Amino acid sequence: MRKGLSASLLLALALAVLAGSAAAKKKPDPDHLPVTRVKDLHYGDVLWWFYQNKNFEALTRLSAYEQWGRVPNHAAETQLLLGGLYLELGMHNEAGARFEKLLTPDIPPGVRNRAWFYLAKVWYARGYLDRAEAALRKVQGVLPAALEPEKQHLHANVLVRLGRYAEAEQMLAAWRGPEDWTAYARFNLGVALIRDGKMAQAEPIMTTVGTIVTERAELVDLRDKANLALGFALLAANEPAKAKPPLQRVRLNGPYSSKALLGVGWASEALGDHKAALTPWLELHDRNLLDAAVQESYLAVPYAFAKLGANSQAADYYESAVRSFADETHRIDDAVTRIRAGTLLAAILEKEAQGGTYGWFWQLKKLPEAPESRYLYTILAGNDFQEGLKNYRDLVYLDHTLELWAENFPAYESMLETRQRAFAERLPRADELIAAGGADSLLQRRASLQSQLDAAETAGDFAALGTEPERAQWARIKNAEQVLSTAPVGEDTAALRDRLRLVKGALQWRLREQAQGRVYHERRALRDVDTLLSTTQLRWQRLSDVRKGVPENTGVFATRVTDSRGKLEALRARLAQARTAQNGYLAQLAIAELEAQKSRIAAYELQARFALATIYDRASSPEPAQKPAAEAPK
Amino acid sequence: MLEEELLFPANTQVAVFLSMDVGEFFALDSVQLRVDGREVANYLYTPKEADALLKGGVHRLYLGNLKVGEHELVALFNGKGPNERDYRRGATLKFKKAIGAKYLELKINDKQRRAQPEFEIKDWE
Repeated sequence: MRKGLSASLLLALALAVLAGSAAAKKKPDPDHLPVTRVKDLHYGDVLWWFYQNKNFEALTRLSAYEQWGRVPNHAAETQLLLGGLYLELGMHNEAGARFEKLLTPDIPPGVRNRAWFYLAKVWYARGYLDRAEAALRKVQGVLPAALEPEKQHLHANVLVRLGRYAEAEQMLAAWRGPEDWTAYARFNLGVALIRDGKMAQAEPIMTTVGTIVTERAELVDLRDKANLALGFALLAANEPAKAKPPLQRVRLNGPYSSKALLGVGWASEALGDHKAALTPWLELHDRNLLDAAVQESYLAVPYAFAKLGANSQAADYYESAVRSFADETHRIDDAVTRIRAGTLLAAILEKEAQGGTYGWFWQLKKLPEAPESRYLYTILAGNDFQEGLKNYRDLVYLDHTLELWAENFPAYESMLETRQRAFAERLPRADELIAAGGADSLLQRRASLQSQLDAAETAGDFAALGTEPERAQWARIKNAEQVLSTAPVGEDTAALRDRLRLVKGALQWRLREQAQGRVYHERRALRDVDTLLSTTQLRWQRLSDVRKGVPENTGVFATRVTDSRGKLEALRARLAQARTAQNGYLAQLAIAELEAQKSRIAAYELQARFALATIYDRASSPEPAQKPAAEAPK
Repeated sequence: MLEEELLFPANTQVAVFLSMDVGEFFALDSVQLRVDGREVANYLYTPKEADALLKGGVHRLYLGNLKVGEHELVALFNGKGPNERDYRRGATLKFKKAIGAKYLELKINDKQRRAQPEFEIKDWE
């Protein structure tokens, strides 16, 4: 019944206590669990999508972030949210598995309670009522204020479906919270009691729901529904006088007004007031013939006229009914033929599916302008069809998403190919460079320069620090000294030795004069070399690391791309099959509904023809006036 | 997952997130993001997205790659400030990118005492 709303509320409420909301920060609420601030940015990113109702995106991201270990500070919340998101997608097994992970003693009681609650929802949805009940009993204390009414509603529903009406009644009677959730539970209980033949118990419960004072559209609808159910139950129990008030409480402009008008007519009829019965039935007669109540009114109106002795009017109305029923039967046949062709339903849903929404919240808003559309309104009212339609929409959405993902694969492959080609070009150069050990030889050269400088400084070898011409000059002086040392002693050689000593002294003086500055300069240059060498070494190291990672890296990606592509294609094939099957199922549901309508109309047509024949028969051979002019429609 | 790992390897990845707290003094319209003087994101928020931020969601505004070293991030926030006036403020952060992913958070807070919004950039190590 409130599946859609419950799902949205479930998730919204689940998160209301998970993320730090603005309101929560301003006014701490002692009734709520302590507010959890976003401690991992990626978890906040998931919430951003989630709060926009983009749950598939939220689920994809959260699954990825969990796998990458980017939400370590929200481990429990992650499981709770994942469970909720899977539940929303109708994946009960996945959801259940996530919630069960949270049932350990190390999980805070607040989170554990919510896990039990959601698990109960999973069990309930899958029909495991005993397990659902057991899970609900595991919730310790009271859930956060926003969740507690839903829990009560769920628990009451579980008890009703288990046939434990007294317990459900007791629970609902004790409830002191907001009425909305419990109103649904009360309604379900009332209906169950009526079905069980416990009218006396059901009546006050249904009257409570049927007299709720509310302006909320959803609850107003529920109120009408409760009044209608109670009214018809009382009619069936042969209590027409008691049936009238609830039926008259149903709004005239609501979705249940036609049935209520029909019921009010039958109540008056049962009380013998044929004239009063005509008023609601004539109102119905002008409404859309697709409505089963309106169809019945086509027989009820002439029946009442006949009862009032107005046989001529009765005959007119019966004739009109026969014509209308025959026309309607033809139209239904045409609609069934078109639906069987299979194009209509797919076209409507395909068009609607482009919107990109999915999940339990979705509702079909626009019907196509086709002759058979008028029948779809009735069909869409059915829960089975609605659920089937939503499943189909989910399939279309998933297929659309996978299609978008599939479109990216050529880009990934091209990217990897380009990367591979770039590696193929650059790797040999890099390998050559790495093999040459450039950084090491530079380091050796630097060490050699350092020792040369140290040696020159220690030995006072100032010439080694000189400029190129100075060192050449010094070498020539040394060479001349060598030659003169072996030359015979004489005046000429003595003069030469004197000149050489003067030249050497002058050069030595100049070298010594500049040595200190030159040593300082060289040491500073060495420091600059050190800085550059350190950067070079780092780059060298990175180059080596990157080089080591290259083949595996690209290879792994290429394998992953290929694998993912295969998986995606397999998934899309399965989705296509499921879509075809679901499309067929929906068409079958629509056709079954139309066939049911056709059978009902055929039965009404037969009754109308029979009644008409009776009237004509009586008109041709008049009988005493007391005999009934028509049978009541069945 | 594959796309992110392929395009934004963990070693070079930089992600910039945006979060908002309370939002009483500032209603966010758009954010412009510059990294090293180059515009990398210019995002206009829908009411639904802004609402998701106020509820506690964090928007991953930018995902890219940066080399190791010093960088500068400049964020310009546009919206409605106190008394519904147009409001434009900026925030700057110089950060160092090492090997490994870098996460930065643009935070919009309400400064209750001054009844003004406050914009800051947090570097998540």
